[in-house]
Amino acid sequence: MFFFTYLARELRRRLRQAVFIALGLAVGVGLVLTVTAASAGVKNAQAGVLKGLYGVGTDVTVTGQAPSDSQAKPGSGSGSRVSIALGPNGAQMCVNGKCRPLKNGYTIDTLASSSYAPMNEKAATEIAALHGVAAAAGGLLLTDNRTTISQNPSPPTSFSVDGTDISQQKLGPLSDAVTKTGRSFKPADANRNVAVVDANYATSNGLKTGGTITIGGTKFTIIGTVAQPEGSNPPNVYIPLARAQSLAVQGPAGGSLKNDVNTIYVTAASAADIPAVQREIAKLLPNATITTPSSLASEVTGSVSSAAKLADDLGKWLSVLVLIAAFAVAVLLTMAAVSRRIREFGTLKALGWRGRRIIAQVMGESFVLGVLGAGIGVGLGFAGAAIINSIAPSLSATLSQPTGEHIVTPSGALNPTASHTVSVPLVATVSGAAILAAVLLAVAGGLLAGMFASWRIGRLRPADALSKVG
Amino acid sequence: MYELTGVGKAYATGSKKVVAVAGVNLTVSDGEWLAIRGRTGHGKSTLLNLLGGLDRPTSGQLLLDGRDLGRMRDAELTRLRATTIGFVFQTFNLVPTLSAAENVEAALIPLRTGRAARRRKVAAALDSVGLTDRARHLPSELSGGQQQRVAIARALVKEPKVLLADEPTGNLDEETRDEIIGLMEKLWREYQLTLILVSHDGAVVRRAQRVGIMSRGSISFKA
Repeated sequence: MFFFTYLARELRRRLRQAVFIALGLAVGVGLVLTVTAASAGVKNAQAGVLKGLYGVGTDVTVTGQAPSDSQAKPGSGSGSRVSIALGPNGAQMCVNGKCRPLKNGYTIDTLASSSYAPMNEKAATEIAALHGVAAAAGGLLLTDNRTTISQNPSPPTSFSVDGTDISQQKLGPLSDAVTKTGRSFKPADANRNVAVVDANYATSNGLKTGGTITIGGTKFTIIGTVAQPEGSNPPNVYIPLARAQSLAVQGPAGGSLKNDVNTIYVTAASAADIPAVQREIAKLLPNATITTPSSLASEVTGSVSSAAKLADDLGKWLSVLVLIAAFAVAVLLTMAAVSRRIREFGTLKALGWRGRRIIAQVMGESFVLGVLGAGIGVGLGFAGAAIINSIAPSLSATLSQPTGEHIVTPSGALNPTASHTVSVPLVATVSGAAILAAVLLAVAGGLLAGMFASWRIGRLRPADALSKVG
Repeated sequence: MYELTGVGKAYATGSKKVVAVAGVNLTVSDGEWLAIRGRTGHGKSTLLNLLGGLDRPTSGQLLLDGRDLGRMRDAELTRLRATTIGFVFQTFNLVPTLSAAENVEAALIPLRTGRAARRRKVAAALDSVGLTDRARHLPSELSGGQQQRVAIARALVKEPKVLLADEPTGNLDEETRDEIIGLMEKLWREYQLTLILVSHDGAVVRRAQRVGIMSRGSISFKA
């Protein structure tokens, strides 16, 4: 009881100094919390962008090697090859080796895999059996290209199609989708000509649930529309994988994609397993491209990337500097306070107080200041996060992705990429772990100050202390 | 009983050696009142610090009831100060944030006296110096004489055997000085204390049984 009375009275006596020390620690702690919250917000924004690209729950994406410009020579590249020939029966248009008379109104509609090389679908089963893999599902990312022959020519159109393994809808692009109208796939749809359409694409193209859409020259019934999270770049249309394998073609000869996939979505058993899973897949499929969240994150550019760098570099160092300054202020002020109280401590020693008891008194005062600093600091941290949330502009994330198109030019083949920029809100959140760390930091700062003072008190000789004027 | 044989205290200040107390031989009997006077800087306070176990002699032997203070461990000296020796200082040395009662109570903390017993003893000590009605006052709310009374109560609350007073009236006016010395004399008799009082004030030292003169670190007594 005497301990607390003495402690409270002493803190009240030097209230201004105590408030200054507590505020110093609070500013340091508040800044650390704010920077941590901002950093967490940026990371969440990044994660949101990445999640939208490959869906919830996907840790690793395996794609067949994309044909490069140097590999694809004119006329020998993969993708749809179109040629016009003149024969005895008039002009003919040949698409992937299949020729038909060139008539007005004739529509060429091909569904092709042109961005990624095919892999046997058994690869997904083999990956699923690897150690550290929780689940794996194959898919076909395709492009439907449509050209209509007309006396009034119109530009060719294309849209992206995803062949979805409907037995594993928790993996892949459809995993994060929310059904807006109609329904999603059922197991019975595996071999039916049914399609789910992205809600935005459906709106802009006048498509509705119950209507039809022609894919690869085949009519599909639209059973539902889905919305994907903001920031994602979803396929326009989803169809059952088996139907996609049956309709799509690969390569100049229009090779069949039966039993093939060009993308495999993998979920690791835990985040720690991802590097090992990546290595195992590389051994299993040496020519495949393996993408992990971290490798994908490095490809994201734009303000989200700059903000992440800022939070990681400048924010971290700024916090460290402010913390050091706060600790130094706390130590110096506590030492100054102890210097002013030397005679008081000498008197207590003369009264028979042990050095340990006096040190405990000073450490108690420092501890209380640390706790006060922590409390105020947590408040400042929340305020800082709130300010960031109210004034921070939305971050943009840009990721280059294959368009799915394959263009053959006189100088070679190209797989053009499109820069996909999305706007993501920055939501700075203060986590419980960050609060705990901040409280510990502030208390440590207070105790550190007390320790320096204690070191001085420990060395104090009563006669010397009593001779001090003050 | 104090027995000092050739007690000396020297300080090193840079390359110079300053002798504050030089070969003091002295015996102070139990219950005796010894006054030590002398000019400033002649070793009075240093000798008092040695007697109180606040400092250690650099030479000689200083016995209190047969125990050599120069050879005792720090913890033993601390314990001795807590139980046996009371101090009264010229500048009162009260803790400014604590009330009169709490300042007195501070002397009982090292003895681990129970709270109820502490309160009882504190009340009795304040009563013995006539400050019962000032128990809750802070030092800043008390006069110099009242502050010194609190310091005396603090020194006596643990019922020490020895009371060491270093210029206890040095900061007081004449009237208050007489009042304080009168109080100390009363308490000396009441508690049967061994009282060693340092002062340069003739009016104060005249009340003692024996007066020693400190000069250049040595003590001498008038016949």
